[in-house]
Amino acid sequence: MNTGNIISGIGHVALIGWALAGPLFRPTPKPFEVTQVTAVSEEEYAAIMNAQRPNDAPTQEVQQPEIQPTVQPDIAAPVVPDAPQESPALDSQADTAPQQQPAPETAQPAAPDATPVPVAPAPETQAQDTTPVLEPPAQDMAALIPQTSLRPKQRPVQRIAPEQVAPPEPDTAVDDVVRQEAAPAESADTPVEEQEATAPEEAATEIVTEAEEAAPVTPSPPTKSVRPKTRPTRTAAAPETQAAPSTPEPDADTGTASGIEDALAAALGGATSEPAQTSAPSGPPLTGGEKDALRLAVQSCWNTGSLSSDALKVTVTVAFDMAENAKPKTETIRLIDSAGGTSGAAQQAYEAARRAIIRCGARGFNLPVEKYASWKTVEMVFNPERMRIK
Amino acid sequence: MMYRLVTLLALIMATLSGMPAKAQDGPLRIEITEGVIEPMPFAVPEFVAGGAGGQVAADISNLIAADLAGTGLFRAIPSNAFISRVTSFSSPIQFADWKAVNAQALVTGAVDVDSAGKLVVRFRVWDVFAGQELGSGQQLVGTTDGWRRIAHKIADQVYSRITGEGGYFDSRVVFVSETGPKDKRAKRLAIMDYDGANVTYLTDSASLVLAPRFSPTGDRILYTSYETGFPRIYVLDVQSVSRRVLETQDGAMSFAPRFGPNGRNVVYSLTKGGNTDIYSMDINSGVSQRLTSAPSIETAPSYSPDGSQIVFQSDRTGTSQLYVMGANGGEARRISNGEGLYGTPVWSPRGDLIAFTKQSKRRFHIGVMRTDGSEERLLTASFLDEGPTWSPNGRVIMFTRETQGATGQANLYSVDITGRNLRRVPTAGGASDPAWSPLQ
Repeated sequence: MNTGNIISGIGHVALIGWALAGPLFRPTPKPFEVTQVTAVSEEEYAAIMNAQRPNDAPTQEVQQPEIQPTVQPDIAAPVVPDAPQESPALDSQADTAPQQQPAPETAQPAAPDATPVPVAPAPETQAQDTTPVLEPPAQDMAALIPQTSLRPKQRPVQRIAPEQVAPPEPDTAVDDVVRQEAAPAESADTPVEEQEATAPEEAATEIVTEAEEAAPVTPSPPTKSVRPKTRPTRTAAAPETQAAPSTPEPDADTGTASGIEDALAAALGGATSEPAQTSAPSGPPLTGGEKDALRLAVQSCWNTGSLSSDALKVTVTVAFDMAENAKPKTETIRLIDSAGGTSGAAQQAYEAARRAIIRCGARGFNLPVEKYASWKTVEMVFNPERMRIK
Repeated sequence: MMYRLVTLLALIMATLSGMPAKAQDGPLRIEITEGVIEPMPFAVPEFVAGGAGGQVAADISNLIAADLAGTGLFRAIPSNAFISRVTSFSSPIQFADWKAVNAQALVTGAVDVDSAGKLVVRFRVWDVFAGQELGSGQQLVGTTDGWRRIAHKIADQVYSRITGEGGYFDSRVVFVSETGPKDKRAKRLAIMDYDGANVTYLTDSASLVLAPRFSPTGDRILYTSYETGFPRIYVLDVQSVSRRVLETQDGAMSFAPRFGPNGRNVVYSLTKGGNTDIYSMDINSGVSQRLTSAPSIETAPSYSPDGSQIVFQSDRTGTSQLYVMGANGGEARRISNGEGLYGTPVWSPRGDLIAFTKQSKRRFHIGVMRTDGSEERLLTASFLDEGPTWSPNGRVIMFTRETQGATGQANLYSVDITGRNLRRVPTAGGASDPAWSPLQ
């Protein structure tokens, strides 16, 4: 009995105590921002906004423009045609199925060139007269500087071996089997077959990653560019010295070789005893830029406007010789090949090409005289594919 | 990154441009793939006059220069820029003087009047920069009244020797001359030189005439006349100006005639029972053959130069388009595929192109396309362009251009097939429906 009362009493006391002290255990409310506001009327707001505008931008500055309902007086009113405003029919009277009773020709419709359209009013935008000013960048603003290109470092060898092997000599070939260099000994009785020295492939005992590599030594950027040296000048007409014949020297005991050679030389009229004449120029070749300059010079005079469509289908190859002053020798201009048309069309195409060479070469082309041997004879292919009537 | 890439490319280009080409094997070889398109400067000094040919010599020289310059392919150098004078037809040419004025071609000549009163004209054509004669000298003899034809023939020769294709100067054009206000316009057939000179009227203006077409030999003209109230086809002899009706079916309307390349066959349109189809006729026997039988309108037929095909316009798909069929009819294939309406096709005398009229976006165009319909190119654009006709060499197209408005007038224009050199053909009044003759 007492026990029940005690328990009931304790429970009531605990309930009353929780009810009294409960708010103490509530979680602290989250902080929030408090802003002071003031209620203003519409008139006050308008007054504030007007006060913030520049002084030279008065209120109600942009007004609705008045739309002039009539066209401008200096523009003629469109002619109202008698006939209906229609476009003419595609079919001409000549080829169209005619009417049973052909009416006299009606006046062509005179559609007005343009219908006067009132000028649209300007939008109601509050435009500021002041030009916006960009803030200048700070003086210490960082700038992007191109990084110096680092020369890539050779990657270390990735071969793993139980024992570290010293790198081989630079000229030693790598092989699985290590051999010592063997060379025929002068004193040896038995000749030893020649073989190159070999060494095992370079290996390390551990893998070195890029992260573990030592910081590369930054190479200093080049401070100046090296101008390529000029090509050594040659005497233009100097013939190249013929290399010594690689034929083996005749043995002393085989005297028949020289006899055969002499017989061949006699039979061929000495052709074998003289160096072969080649058509290749002996001078230095033209650079791509020099060739382009010549091409551009000739194409500026190659007029295809007066060529027939048949002649524009012909590609002609024209050869000519040049004097040392870079002027073409007109008497040497010749057609050496044509493709794509009749002989008559090829003749027209050739004449146009010849005119181009003569006209633009009259003052001499811009060619380096030290390379005269390279442009002494020129072959030009005139391909009118891009110039055809399409 | 971009900076490094640009630097690398610049270094590569600099290296390549300064690097010697690979070892040259043989002569220096250059390929030219681009040139310039501009009129070729030429000079025609006044022909040397002998006897009573003074004024005629000047006229002939000027007309040759006008013919060549009118093509747009040549540019005449004015005579006041000449350095040297040609005083004798047989004297050597001072090429340096003509080079100095940049004359690339030179035409010299002499005019004499023989004892019979005939005009004797000799000429030579020179390639100035090559210092050579192009072709060989020629001599033409004609009446003094025919000096224009002589000049046109010389211009044709010069044109042919320089360009490699035939000329078109010694040709004529038949057209419909138009006079009077637009609502009461009188039309009659007229014929003139290609440049608008020597106009001769072939019919009076009592009845409406349309669509004249030359025969392949240029001695006859087909045209449509409303003389009886119905459109009917007539054939007219140019020399005697006599004519006869070609198609006499009762209750039928025939129009849009055109000769075949053999000069015997005529292809035309015939409307009977409310349907328009294409027919061909042997002009000698009068036997006709129906080539199309569609319920739509088929008209404006034109033979290919070899006579094996016919191009025509038809609205069988709902809009006017171009079709090609065999000369004896059969299945037709459509060749026009662009937007808009196509009409009045004409096969080029070269056989490679078809000229046509196109209406698209309220504009009219004269255009050309390949015979399979590919590579369509529009050469003109205006309020109303229509009715193309080819020059004898297939290089120029003449057509009708009509201006807008109640006071608008039809005139003849010509244009190169490149679309350049659009110019009006001078006529006394209005003109339409041109048809170019072959070379005379």
